[in-house]
Amino acid sequence: MNQDDLSGLIAHIALGDRKAFSALYAQTSAKLFGVSLRILKDSAQAEDAVQEVYVRIWRRAGSFRAGQASAMAWLVTIARNQAIDMIRARQPATLEYDDAPEVADPDPDPEARAALSGEARRIQTCLGGLDSDKAAAVVEAYVEGLSYQELAEKNGVPLNTMRTWLRRSLLKLRECLNT
Amino acid sequence: MSPGPHISDDNALAGEYVLGVLPQAERLQVEQRMLREADFAALVASWQADLSSLDDAYSPQPPPPGVKARIDARLFAEAAKSQGGLWGSLMLWRGLAFAGFAAAVALGVFGGNFPGSVDPAAGPALVAELGAPGSAVGLVAALDPASGAFTITPAAFSPDDGKSLELWLVPGEGVPVSLGLVPKDGGRLVLDRDLLSQISDGALLAVSIEPLGGSPTGAATGPVVLSGALGQK
Repeated sequence: MNQDDLSGLIAHIALGDRKAFSALYAQTSAKLFGVSLRILKDSAQAEDAVQEVYVRIWRRAGSFRAGQASAMAWLVTIARNQAIDMIRARQPATLEYDDAPEVADPDPDPEARAALSGEARRIQTCLGGLDSDKAAAVVEAYVEGLSYQELAEKNGVPLNTMRTWLRRSLLKLRECLNT
Repeated sequence: MSPGPHISDDNALAGEYVLGVLPQAERLQVEQRMLREADFAALVASWQADLSSLDDAYSPQPPPPGVKARIDARLFAEAAKSQGGLWGSLMLWRGLAFAGFAAAVALGVFGGNFPGSVDPAAGPALVAELGAPGSAVGLVAALDPASGAFTITPAAFSPDDGKSLELWLVPGEGVPVSLGLVPKDGGRLVLDRDLLSQISDGALLAVSIEPLGGSPTGAATGPVVLSGALGQK
């Protein structure tokens, strides 16, 4: 099923078409359950999440704009947000920075990726311009839905360092993606 | 003090939001900005578009049978129950939201329907319009400082049977504080004095879906479905 077909189904759902809703579920629920499971790492919770996701899809179908995002990306965004909201709700609402001094960013050459080719728009190419551990943190945060706290623990650095690293990496990525 | 967390760059913040790394209070603040600031919402959208190629990492996994039936029961049994259907009430709500949110608030909240609601000496009423990004659906919570009660104009949706909607105060620091359950068809939610003293202009409110009777742990356990900031109207 291609993106146009999915967009068409979503448009019908916005009009209250239950058959379109069932067709969309048949086509996309495996992917969205996969998203929920990967982030929540618990099948009962992933089941709850996926129910919530389709309820949201039914209710928000009218806000989908085919020109702004691919249909599948829109659906995955809803699923990721749902799963991440569920785990963040169980964690502290704010970051508690410890007093550990910040570790210097070992990246000596922030301009190194300036010479990337015209294909730099693609996220993979731009990720390749980051230090490998920074690129891995970006991908892991996105795919697994990790919190700053979890990223800091995995990378063995203080929370404030982790946030600085990730924010710098994001700014570099944005610069590269906009090139 | 580290400079890191204080680099104020909307681009990085929008990226952090899309990655999902932010703690709950910051996520909600970002979602508030997305509702108010089209430029900022566009930054978020561009990160979503750029990072969506990472979605290939999610392998499809069919959900257990029965999930679809439960979704249908939730959506369509609900519609059958309420007069005119859920969809009808949703459209009505959207119409209200666009045509005259302020008017609805004024009629529903300040119409003098309950005694003790008007006491100018106790300070101005504060109103929060709680919504979710990409949707006009929501509820209005108006705090009358004189009576120490919220008046809640109902959301267009109601939770599943066996679930409750719980209202939270999301502080700048620390964990969200429960303000109580959202009355099923709207109405008053009276706060005790201690809670009332924690609420001021600009306070961030959120609504989560919880087990019937509210969160068993005292912390939000279900998804946050609505959020909004209190302000003077």
